[in-house]
Amino acid sequence: MINKFLGFEPDKDKLPSLTAKIGDDIDLSSHKYQKIWLGPNHPGVTGNMAVELWVQGNTVVKAKTHVGYLHRGFEKLIERRLFVQGFPTSIRMCVAEPDTNEYLIATCTEQLSGYDKAVPEMAKWLRMLSLEMARLQGLLRGVPGQGGTFALGLGVQWGVYLRDLILDRFEELTGARVYHMYIIPGGVRGLLPDGFKERMEDNLRDIDDFIIRIRKLMFHNSVFKKRAKGLARITPDMVDKYGIVGTNARGCGVKRDVRKDHPYLHYDQLDFDPPTDTDGDIYARTWVRWQELIQTVDLIRQIMAKMPEKGDIKAEMPNVLHWKIPKGETYVRLESGRGEYGMYYVTDGSAKPRRVNLRGPSYTHAIALLEDMLVGADVADVHAIMVSLQTCPPEIER
Amino acid sequence: MSLKDILTPFTAWSKVVKEPVTIKDPLNREAAPRYRGFHDNDIDTCIGCGTCEAICENEAIDLVPVDGIETKDGDSGLRPKIDYGRCCWCALCVDICTTNSLRLTNAYKWVDTDPDNFRFVPGVDEKDWYKREEGWRKPEPNYEFYGLKRVEMGELHPEEREDSFVEMIKGYSKEQAEAEADRCVECGICTATCPAHMGIPEYIKAIRNDDLEEGLRILYDTNPLPEICGRICTHKCETVCTIGHKGDPLSIRWLKRYIADQNPSEKYKKILETDILKKNGKKVAIIGSGPAGLSAAHYLVLLGYEVEIFEKLEKAGGMMRYGIPEYRLPYDQIDKDVNYILSLGVKIHYNVTVGKDITLKKLGEDFDAVFAGTGLHLGRSTRIEGTDHENVYQSIELLRKITQGEEIYVPEKIVVIGGGNVAMDITRSLARLQNQKYGKVQVIATSLETEEKMPADREEVIEAREEKAIVNPGWSPQRIEIVDGKIKGLHVVQCLSLFDETGNFNPQCNMENKNFFEADMIVESIGQGMDVSYISEDIKEHLELGPRGRFRVNDYFQTSLPWLFMGGDTIQGPDVIHGIANGHKAALGIDKFLIGE
Amino acid sequence: MKDLIEKLTEDFKISDVVYQRPDLAFVTVPKGVAISLVTELRDFEGFSHFVMMSCVDWIEEGKFQLLYLLHNPKTKTDVGVKTFIDRENAEMASAHHLWKQVWTYQRELKEAFGIDFPGSPRVDENFVVEGWTEMPHMRRDFNTKEYSQNTYFPRPGRETNDPAEYMRKKLYPNEPITAKKQDNDK
Repeated sequence: MINKFLGFEPDKDKLPSLTAKIGDDIDLSSHKYQKIWLGPNHPGVTGNMAVELWVQGNTVVKAKTHVGYLHRGFEKLIERRLFVQGFPTSIRMCVAEPDTNEYLIATCTEQLSGYDKAVPEMAKWLRMLSLEMARLQGLLRGVPGQGGTFALGLGVQWGVYLRDLILDRFEELTGARVYHMYIIPGGVRGLLPDGFKERMEDNLRDIDDFIIRIRKLMFHNSVFKKRAKGLARITPDMVDKYGIVGTNARGCGVKRDVRKDHPYLHYDQLDFDPPTDTDGDIYARTWVRWQELIQTVDLIRQIMAKMPEKGDIKAEMPNVLHWKIPKGETYVRLESGRGEYGMYYVTDGSAKPRRVNLRGPSYTHAIALLEDMLVGADVADVHAIMVSLQTCPPEIER
Repeated sequence: MSLKDILTPFTAWSKVVKEPVTIKDPLNREAAPRYRGFHDNDIDTCIGCGTCEAICENEAIDLVPVDGIETKDGDSGLRPKIDYGRCCWCALCVDICTTNSLRLTNAYKWVDTDPDNFRFVPGVDEKDWYKREEGWRKPEPNYEFYGLKRVEMGELHPEEREDSFVEMIKGYSKEQAEAEADRCVECGICTATCPAHMGIPEYIKAIRNDDLEEGLRILYDTNPLPEICGRICTHKCETVCTIGHKGDPLSIRWLKRYIADQNPSEKYKKILETDILKKNGKKVAIIGSGPAGLSAAHYLVLLGYEVEIFEKLEKAGGMMRYGIPEYRLPYDQIDKDVNYILSLGVKIHYNVTVGKDITLKKLGEDFDAVFAGTGLHLGRSTRIEGTDHENVYQSIELLRKITQGEEIYVPEKIVVIGGGNVAMDITRSLARLQNQKYGKVQVIATSLETEEKMPADREEVIEAREEKAIVNPGWSPQRIEIVDGKIKGLHVVQCLSLFDETGNFNPQCNMENKNFFEADMIVESIGQGMDVSYISEDIKEHLELGPRGRFRVNDYFQTSLPWLFMGGDTIQGPDVIHGIANGHKAALGIDKFLIGE
Repeated sequence: MKDLIEKLTEDFKISDVVYQRPDLAFVTVPKGVAISLVTELRDFEGFSHFVMMSCVDWIEEGKFQLLYLLHNPKTKTDVGVKTFIDRENAEMASAHHLWKQVWTYQRELKEAFGIDFPGSPRVDENFVVEGWTEMPHMRRDFNTKEYSQNTYFPRPGRETNDPAEYMRKKLYPNEPITAKKQDNDK
């Protein structure tokens, strides 16, 4: 009733009807279609990635993802470096949550060399802390960022400020704000500085307040609801078909979370339940992420309460300059903010890895899934859809 | 959708009255204390080992010479230069730094119009952030990139060894040797300090790769007595080992021994590819079969010379056999090294004393060149009152007799004068003999030098005490008390200092503080001199003398008589490794002299 | 997991089973049955989630190793199906019909290793290196360092010294030294 009053309901009947069957081969010379490049540099795109769109009127009839703008051959570079030298390169494979890459490299080498049992307790807790802090800073940008794609910029400003506070904590814990280089094979590179927990708690209280405010700003917002609800719907049967993971899968009720399914580090000692929703549209995915924001704040509090005060930070290991790992292969995964994030790691008995292959969730989300999902979408919604799938281009091209 | 959804977003307006959160002065924001910013290097602590360069994954570090820093033992004189066009601030260079000299400060702001300025030597090129204490340092606790602790060497317990001459050091197993070899960072600082300049990082690498045949080949490149050196080398390399700055230096000596021990002697010729040696028809005589002589013989025979050694005693090895007790260097290990050299075609004449049985002049006529590695075999005396008594002995004489299996006089109470390794050798040998004879030990070793300044290796002193010998340093011997023709003991006074301001030997004593050591026998072990009786006067007058009464030799150990070369303890040292190095160099010198370049 | 693999061993000629972790096994099968095994695992054994596809270049043996990593969300286990194909004229049957994202992997492998997957959609399109003319860039014999040295130009003025060599030149230039320097770690 009120919608009608405000005139929000677009009357599709008044628009010209589509003359083509969607997704068919498109003859641009017929002058019925137009090709638009979205990106590689576009404020709505997270990182440098281009989407080539064929549109008729406002409607996308075909889409192609183009990546490669960030390709520097990281996997290849890691193959040419010693085991200990891998992590400073690896973090560039996903800037949004660099710690996940460090963790994967460290854990793969530890598992293949048999040192996984030697990682000290303290290091495990600190690894969890840095991983959850990485998730938190990602969500602080990601949740309001979804509003930003619908021109709701205010939340982004709040979120980016709080994210900077978390980066401050990263800076004092790891020595850097974005490229932390904190988790190394065998352990981590530093204990908590004095007073860290108190300062973190201050930040978390600010974030608690932000969580309530962003709920009022975004999730009880008629514009956001109007645009996000029902848009880019993922159904449970699509999950396995496309390999959808993380919050994208949980948004449609498929509860998959590596932290629960394959508990790593000490996640089995933490009390949490991954949030889910049923609708599978952008609103539901963002809502799941908002709940995850609450949960991550809680997890950081739990970790800080449960972690030991003191302890060794690194296992005693061979000289890093001659460290050789016997021939073997493994796959290690973790739950990043975007879902299952894994690494296939092959060693051949030498001092350098034979193959390092990263499995980023965006590899499927932003290509196979996005290309299919964009068909039939409105041009104005394209980057909203892209962001709602939490696209991170560097992990596609590595 | 409801009216609530239209109105709730307006709650954001409440922020309008809030204080802004923007940083007031963003240009001067201080980084966290652990922040990884620009480098600083404590150049006095840094030794230029280049481990930072080795671990840098971006090849951002070069090692460059720096004015005012000298290349010397244990310091390459190079310092790291960082290229900030490549650096990614990972700080792996800091974490591995072997001297803890490198660090990152938390300075992160630096604007310059010249890109070349972003390539500089930290600690040398003046930068204003060096005064900052904050920044990244190697994390604590127990955060190491290589092992700091030496792999424990198995040895016999004092009870097991105190009455026996069985070798006390057991040697490394494969696992132990590989673990120890793993600690090496391959900087090669040690190579310069080793008198023979052995390829130490290379043979340690061979151990890591479990390629001991390659290891043996590397050893024989510069040292033909690895079994011997692997046991009794003075290991000067270990004193400069880079790893020793933060932890225990590598057991370079034991690793060398491991390679030699693991290769059976019957395979040496095959491994070292010395089955067939070319001959060049020239002949070289060598006087003495000590380390210098054997080393010269080995390299000469490889160069194609016919080599004959003239040895005064009945077995080869010189001081290594007759000066070093069996528990430190078993005779079969000497035989292993010596027999390999002899198997290459080196002829040896035992029981031939040059100067008596054959003259040096004759050798000079019969051979194309002569190398003399005669060593220091004359014991020095303190010349205090009573030293002419028959029960005052020279340590070097006793050690030889023990090796030769002669019965020596072992009374119940013995005093040894001397604080060097030879003094410890005789002390511990006599302690063993006392134990065998009386079941108890009463040997006192005393020296002028105080405990800290004793020239003997520290472990020798500790082990001597473990074997119940008494080491009581810091005393100056005054006279030997003799009653009725029998030694009663040694009178000593406290020694305050050994050298005067000009550095000359001039002991100062406190005559008030006296002591008396009871003894039935006194052994003097205060150093040895060389015996040059083999050189006849007509030859001697052609030989120039150098400093400290030694003969003058050139870089190739050639004396002023071109056909006569000299090396070993009479020229440098005294120790085995100098002898080996001298012999090697002299062999090359002889080759240069006879064949030319 | 063990039971499952034992059950399938005979039908699919499984060899070289490695249980890397209790929840992760790698099996090797002949090239011809790899896709059938993957299909079997997906349709009848509950391995419905396709984790990734990867390739390892065993250049010494002249083989590419392809990996299909599958995940069973119910039992929470993973199976990596490996198969070896010849490096020369590398070709493999396409699996793009099984999961929607597989064609992306195959397109990447075509570009990065030069493995052809006939019938796979858009397999010949460039993926990340548009306009690439060198050999496939993820092959072991593609030398990244040499490529960058030939393609780009380093700033002049860099030179370094090996500490041991520098000390030799400074302190004992004429002394005999070891002749044998071993190759660097392979």
